[in-house]
Amino acid sequence: MKSIAQKEFISTLRDRRFVVLSALVLALLLTATLVGRASFRTLQRERQLAQTTVNDQFRNQPARHPHRVAHYGSFAFRPRSGLSLLDAGVDSFTGSAVYLEAHQQNSVNFSQAQQSGSLIRFGEMTVAFVLQLLVPLLIIFLCFGAFTQERETGTLQLLLAQGTTLRQVAWGKIRGYCQAVALVVAPALALAAALLFTGEEFASNTDLLARLVLFGLSYAVYFFLFVVGSVVVSARQASSRAALVTLLGLWILGGIILPKATANLGASLYPTITKAQMDAEVHEEAQHGVNGHDPHDQRAAAIKAALLKKYGVDSEEKLPVSVAGVQMAAGEAYSARVYQQHFAALNATYEQQNRLSDWAGLLNPYQAIRPLSMGLAGSDFTHYVHFQQAAEAYRYGLVQRLNGLQASMGYGDKERRLDAHTWRELPVFAYRAPNLHWALPHLFLPVAALLLWAMVLSWLGLRLISKTSIA
Amino acid sequence: MRVFWILFSYEWRHFRAAKGLVLLCGLLLATGLYGIYYGTTEIERQRQQLATLPELTHRNVEELKVKFPGPTDAGDIGYYHSTFAVHHPDPWAALSLGLRDVNPTYVKLRLLGLHNQLYASDNTNPMKTLTGNFDLAFVLVYLLPLLIIALCFNLLSAEREEGILTLLLAQPVRPATVLGAKLAFRAGIVMALAWLLSGVGMAWAGVPLDIRVPSWLAMSTLYCLFWFGVALVVTAWQRASAVNAVALLGVWLVLVVLVPSLLSLGVAAARPVPQGIELTIRQREEIHAGWDKPKTQTMNRFFGLYPQWRDTTIIRERFAWRWYYAFQHLGDQAVASQARAYAQGLQQRYDLVETLNLFSPAIIAQTSFNALGGSDLPAHLAFQRSAARYHDSLRAFYYPLLFRKVDFTHADYAREPQHTFTSQSEMPTVRRGLSKLLLSVTAVLALGFVLVRRRSILPH
Repeated sequence: MKSIAQKEFISTLRDRRFVVLSALVLALLLTATLVGRASFRTLQRERQLAQTTVNDQFRNQPARHPHRVAHYGSFAFRPRSGLSLLDAGVDSFTGSAVYLEAHQQNSVNFSQAQQSGSLIRFGEMTVAFVLQLLVPLLIIFLCFGAFTQERETGTLQLLLAQGTTLRQVAWGKIRGYCQAVALVVAPALALAAALLFTGEEFASNTDLLARLVLFGLSYAVYFFLFVVGSVVVSARQASSRAALVTLLGLWILGGIILPKATANLGASLYPTITKAQMDAEVHEEAQHGVNGHDPHDQRAAAIKAALLKKYGVDSEEKLPVSVAGVQMAAGEAYSARVYQQHFAALNATYEQQNRLSDWAGLLNPYQAIRPLSMGLAGSDFTHYVHFQQAAEAYRYGLVQRLNGLQASMGYGDKERRLDAHTWRELPVFAYRAPNLHWALPHLFLPVAALLLWAMVLSWLGLRLISKTSIA
Repeated sequence: MRVFWILFSYEWRHFRAAKGLVLLCGLLLATGLYGIYYGTTEIERQRQQLATLPELTHRNVEELKVKFPGPTDAGDIGYYHSTFAVHHPDPWAALSLGLRDVNPTYVKLRLLGLHNQLYASDNTNPMKTLTGNFDLAFVLVYLLPLLIIALCFNLLSAEREEGILTLLLAQPVRPATVLGAKLAFRAGIVMALAWLLSGVGMAWAGVPLDIRVPSWLAMSTLYCLFWFGVALVVTAWQRASAVNAVALLGVWLVLVVLVPSLLSLGVAAARPVPQGIELTIRQREEIHAGWDKPKTQTMNRFFGLYPQWRDTTIIRERFAWRWYYAFQHLGDQAVASQARAYAQGLQQRYDLVETLNLFSPAIIAQTSFNALGGSDLPAHLAFQRSAARYHDSLRAFYYPLLFRKVDFTHADYAREPQHTFTSQSEMPTVRRGLSKLLLSVTAVLALGFVLVRRRSILPH
């Protein structure tokens, strides 16, 4: 079995076509890594600079009324995750900046896709793209003749005459091909890792290292699937031509048609509400109460009455707190809760839309590795939602602190301002991306799908091979 | 010629007998129909969403009528009242959705500064937009070449591998006629499919019968011909079926996948756009500084732009709406050149792609289809310009009320300007695309013919 593996490995290396193709794939991988790093650095720099600018602007405001500051607000910029240079995931299609202000939750704007023409729809040249679609193609070209060629030249019978079983031959071949694929992919991944960890921003980051290791492992399983699958198809098909055409057909179906069809079907089945409609509903509920029986004006009046009662005074002027500030805080708490419900419903809709594609991962390994890869890279939808929620948590905290400041100014606050140094004591937005421990539970389905595929193929596929005809 | 038709009719019998090929054609037909269904329903959904916007404006007005029962300061209305600038699709967009799901199809506007409203995005599922649209253009640009490859990869090699070619060439027929008949037959089938799907798509989307109908058909035809040209070149090369399949799929991979994604990277690097975020940050800074500056300074700057309001009363009170809207507008003015540079930068990116798309007929076809559907970046930029003009007209409507201190009455809601914009097909882009495709087709067919002439077809 070892000698079969060695034979496949060596004859693969001697095959000029394979050498040319793998040189091409290697070159693409290196280009994608370098380009990925360059664009990662530019974007990261731009966003960091913008965040520092707005943070400085916030701290250096003149004396203002706190509610003016709440309207002045701030921006949150989404930093890119370290591994997104390998797999950009949905990053190009999500916004990069959100304006944080009192009373409303704004959309995250300025996505990369909005800043380019429809060319971006052809796909982006990232390491993940090469690994997910091009390497499998290379594997197909490498393995389609595994059995058919031996059969066509009659060497299979000779091999079996020496007492080896079909299963042993198959495992030997699988091992040989895996070695050849590793030879192409490993250097590129090693280079990517080296590039990542030589950058000072990632030095001694264990979370990133763990993500990278899992990233590598998942792709190892993914490639193994393709090697085994191709060998099985090669064994079951009558001719090399039939094997190749079958495999290419499966690649097109799994890599091009199915992902698009499931994503589109999901979007048709669970339509998304527009931002305009959602904002109108939020406004309605915040004004008239979630159930329509608790209008904003009544709530405000109740707050004033409660304050007067609490401090045992009969007019607003005698209160130690600003009624407007307290009302503002209560209004913000109310509307934030309404927003939260609507955003949760929106994200639930997105999840329903994506679920079809996630479950398709059980049928199509490409649709399993894709979410897994971006999840590990920190560039998937869940990580994006985490940022959105962090930005909202900061916005809410900031606005409520400002409302608190306003309340403490007492009666007649509108005529006065707070000192410039007040703004320096407020926290600025600093985003910490979630760690792997947080991300893993979301990736259960794709991991299960990949492992299931690996087990089923190794067991059922190899059983099929041992039943196959020799001649 | 008679021999050609005999061969042609035998190809037909052969094709009908080959279950796999019929299945593939049926599959393409089915995916094409799904693409048409998806595109038309998606556009219909966008139309329905846009149709609900006037209702939202109406609800907003009803609420304001309760909030301000009598005549009131127009500044209050300008602040609380919102309307929409809407980007209606052209019927052709249903066949080629382009970026209509990435860019918002409406902008909600108030009388406040324009630039912190203009770039708001709509709710979109990034996983969905990443995966892209399954529209008819996708089927024609991506999948049709794959069908052509499947039909042609063993054009002669199968006959050779089965030993039939020897028999065939022993007959009094010229090898070129055999090749011609086989290719013509397959081209007939694929073209019929492409035209059928296009026809169904056009009827379903309800497109008007104008020059764009023949343009779309010519585009699909030329694009198919290009791929038959590639198949001819590979066939003339005369290798084994497996080698042909790999070569053809390799060409597909390069032209439909690799060149576009590499070009995308190149264009982004060659034409960096000044980030839109910079201008919104600057605008916020300008607007909020307006609160802290002396009112006369702000008003004098504003009167420099609008001298017709110079003779209005001097603002002595702590707050006046006309002062508020003056510094909102000055905030827009401060970033006007940045905003123009941003839009121009995006347009330049698009133009550069259009110049360089000669490297891949797939990009030519896709950009032309999108240009025909009015669903690409230029259409969105045109919409943004239109929305900006609408914002101007809103200001022109409110300014006399604000500066002459005329109260806003309930009747004024109906007098407020409305906005509508329907994207236009970019016909110059389509014409350039057609001529570039024609050039590619001529080049590849010429190469094929030369190869067929030079390398005589051998039975073994």
